[in-house]
Amino acid sequence: MIIKKNKLQERKAITPLSRREGLGVGLVCLLLFFYSCSTSLPQQAEEAGRMAKMMPDNNGATLPPNLAPLNFEILEEGDAFVTRLSTKAGEELIVDGRSLDISLKDWQRLMASAVGDTLWTDVFVREDKRWKHFQRMANPVVADSIDPYITYRLIRPSYVMYEELTLVERCMENFDQRTIFDNMPMSKGNQGQCINCHVPQQQGQSGRSQFHVRQAYGGTVLIDGTQVRKVNLKTDSTLSAGVYPAWHPTLNLLAYSVNETGQSFHTLDPQKIEVIDYASDLILYDPEKNEVTSIERTTNDFESFPTWSPDGRTLYYISAHHELEGESIDADLDQNYQTLHYNIYARDFSPETHKFGPRRLVFNAEAMGKSASTPRISPDGRWLLFSLADYGQFHIWHRSADLCMISLENIERLESLESLNSPESDSYHSWSSNGRWILFSSRRADGNYTRLYMAYFDKDGHAHRPVLLPQRSPKYYTQLLRSFNAAEWMVRPFGPSPKALDETIRQTALQAKYAGSALLVPENDQAISNAKITKQNYHNIYENN
Amino acid sequence: MTKRLPYTLLFIVIAMWVMMGVLRPFLLETAQLTPFLTTKVFAQEMMARHTWGWLLYAASFLQSCMFLPWLGASLLTLVLVAIAYATRWALRLPDSCFGLCWVAPFLLLSRFTRMGYLIYTSKEVAVAFAWPLAALLLLLVLGLAVKGLRALRRGPAADGHKLKGLDLMLLGLSFIAFAGSAYRMWEQTYKDTNFLNALQMKQAIERDDWDEVLRLARDNRQEPTRLQVCFTRLALYKTGQMGDRLFAHPDGSAAYNAPEQNQWLRLMGAQLLYYHLGKTGFAYRWAMEDMVEYGERPMYLRTMHRVALLNGEEALARKYEQALSHTLFYEQDTNILEQEATAIRPLLNYTDQLDGDNGLIEFYLLQSFALTEGGSRQMVELSLMCSLITKHLEGFWPRFMALLPGWQGHIPTHYQEAALMVAQLQGGVDTSQLPIDNEVRQRFERLVEASAQLGDSGSNAYTLRAEYGDTYWYYYFFVEGLKTT
Repeated sequence: MIIKKNKLQERKAITPLSRREGLGVGLVCLLLFFYSCSTSLPQQAEEAGRMAKMMPDNNGATLPPNLAPLNFEILEEGDAFVTRLSTKAGEELIVDGRSLDISLKDWQRLMASAVGDTLWTDVFVREDKRWKHFQRMANPVVADSIDPYITYRLIRPSYVMYEELTLVERCMENFDQRTIFDNMPMSKGNQGQCINCHVPQQQGQSGRSQFHVRQAYGGTVLIDGTQVRKVNLKTDSTLSAGVYPAWHPTLNLLAYSVNETGQSFHTLDPQKIEVIDYASDLILYDPEKNEVTSIERTTNDFESFPTWSPDGRTLYYISAHHELEGESIDADLDQNYQTLHYNIYARDFSPETHKFGPRRLVFNAEAMGKSASTPRISPDGRWLLFSLADYGQFHIWHRSADLCMISLENIERLESLESLNSPESDSYHSWSSNGRWILFSSRRADGNYTRLYMAYFDKDGHAHRPVLLPQRSPKYYTQLLRSFNAAEWMVRPFGPSPKALDETIRQTALQAKYAGSALLVPENDQAISNAKITKQNYHNIYENN
Repeated sequence: MTKRLPYTLLFIVIAMWVMMGVLRPFLLETAQLTPFLTTKVFAQEMMARHTWGWLLYAASFLQSCMFLPWLGASLLTLVLVAIAYATRWALRLPDSCFGLCWVAPFLLLSRFTRMGYLIYTSKEVAVAFAWPLAALLLLLVLGLAVKGLRALRRGPAADGHKLKGLDLMLLGLSFIAFAGSAYRMWEQTYKDTNFLNALQMKQAIERDDWDEVLRLARDNRQEPTRLQVCFTRLALYKTGQMGDRLFAHPDGSAAYNAPEQNQWLRLMGAQLLYYHLGKTGFAYRWAMEDMVEYGERPMYLRTMHRVALLNGEEALARKYEQALSHTLFYEQDTNILEQEATAIRPLLNYTDQLDGDNGLIEFYLLQSFALTEGGSRQMVELSLMCSLITKHLEGFWPRFMALLPGWQGHIPTHYQEAALMVAQLQGGVDTSQLPIDNEVRQRFERLVEASAQLGDSGSNAYTLRAEYGDTYWYYYFFVEGLKTT
């Protein structure tokens, strides 16, 4: 048994050993003994008959064995607080205080003992000299571990301005985090830039990853180990530079969407923003040849969010069909944005020839009156995970957005994943390298600020109750006025130094060449679709320069 | 000591007079543009982002105290006085040179007092206190270094006695330096009347004191900026005087005494205007956009808190409430909020729209209301007024007739004027059946006669301004172009 004072009050902490010594030697230690009695469990406590209110509340969440301590704060009225964490195997940790700051060593010992079983949490609160015991909190602990790192953008839930944002790497096994890139120091006056999502190849196993820089210093930053280079993927024959990326699982190839994207704002609706593609296509980029080829290049179909199957032989993506009404597509879609319904499609890919086969429908969201986005295939190739909302593709701003799943062995059956979802937006998600953990974004806490959750996904295809990304201070999330954005698992730390990134970003981007169609049988290449965008105030938010 | 005291007292009087006597509204505004939260996250971010994070944290704390201008001004004055004394101590200057020690305090004070509009766009952390605190720290370090060096040399102190022969000259030079820097500081202080008037209006709006906004509009003797015009019109609407008085107020478009003319109305007024006129999504948007650029300023947190409350986003409102509870002075008064909300709710009775204002706040509001159909009585009246301002008279009669029963016998004067004019221009409505005041009818008849007698519209405008300058007729015929920013 371990009995610990809360680390926050470590100066006052007394272990059972010091207590025994103290009893033998005199008054000072006697006082310490009396004091230390308050850290033990109450002798008598009434049953409260309910769970204790706590922040964050991770009751019932399934935990990985290698997650950082789940600190929390007890939100009950009271003048003394004792929490017991215990396992069936007999490990126990008793902590006092309203706010828990569990040491990593104690936590790891508890978790090691709880693997394959449950971590129990009992909360005792004293009010008016009477102790209450709240219902026991249970967290199943599984043997499947999470990848040790994640990367994400820390950003205000912003609209058009973007200067203040950072790319962050967090170690999931403790509370260490570091800034990979801080956008502010590079922004001078109006010469700011926007750093887009960092996406690794195969959870960073190959050491390759990429992110975009928009506006000043625009370009796509490609990372290979510690090497960094910047390329410009915008060509005369494509809509924009690369936007939403998908690394081929084994080859040094990336599929990207290219998008003409604008933002419009709700005057009343608490969803606040619509991010609308007025045109979008798909490209394939070969970093070794520095060549861009077209996968989709159509006027009335808007393709986006590509993703590869784990064997690298299929490219999945979303696409919506829209026939222009009127003369300008942006004015049309600003009026009719709720009619845009994206389905999930796929094209077969030959890793040998780098050519794609014909397009086929995988999931018809439109038939359900819904719209799918951000498809991601599980590493075992069995499951297609995506977000589903009433319309559109930028689901972080859609309260109707929920995570859904279909089995690629039986695509007729839609799994709604109720254990993961909430009334607020649940969207951007990523599979861990072992396929057992889903990292996703949710605005369930307050509807506006995105937080990261991890959910266990068992071998039978069931998603378990998710756990909020733990932080050292339980108050962290209530005090933080920033969102966690576009999080991805990483099996190893990000390679390049901030200095190398800074130097590369300041360099001129290497211009990519356009090399025609990537289709085995080229389809009707159509005119670039932005010709019908007429809104005077329109800016493509994904334009490089 | 006797030579130091007059300088000290004189500096305190000058500094306090400039800050409390001239720039009081600016100090209040500075407080709500100063990000400072007593949270661990805020402190950690400050330390992580800035090399001298702890100094900037302290400076932000002190600057937040400008919420109570006397306290903020006293603290700044105290730091500046300390700098003068630290200068003398660090450089071992004789009392006769004490006047020279005030050059830096005056310069540092003017760095703050000359900001004006730029306080909104400055990304410098705690502009009033950061440099003074840094200077004070530097002087203390310098002083200790000098003291250490002397102790090492063990030599006699090179104090004032060698300079005694020069005392008189030094005293004179010293006083000139003091007076010169005081004058320079005063000269550089941003005393623009419209700016200070607009700040006072803004702060009155934030207190829900609409009569004070109108008093400030009346007392302003200069041509107003569009921001002042917008605030005045909002106050007229809030006090129910829009239909009677709007065109009697100056429709000025004075330039902002600052670079980049187009941004000040947005930065200073957009959140308040949108919030009070029911475009809550846009109020929230601009608060968030500005928070991205300028940090967690209480001004933005207040807007976002209010909007979340109005939208019924309880969890989000609690989040901002908690953030505000970690500021030094901006915990919300829920009674005031409820009063405000009651006045705004009728303006939320419309179908949400997906839109964008391109930063043209006044133009967007005018067009938006002018093109609105239906809604609550308050919305219809705003639609009527905005269609009059934009001179889009097509929807005049439906709106006028919808509002007529609610006026209970007294139609606001501008709507009477517009009814007579529209009937004259478009025909089709018999205004003799409308309860229009005889005085208004007679004025209109005189105007028609005068117009017939006078020649071109240019000379009409000049001649008729004295008698008809406060009417909608004058606005419609003689004020050309829609003044917006």
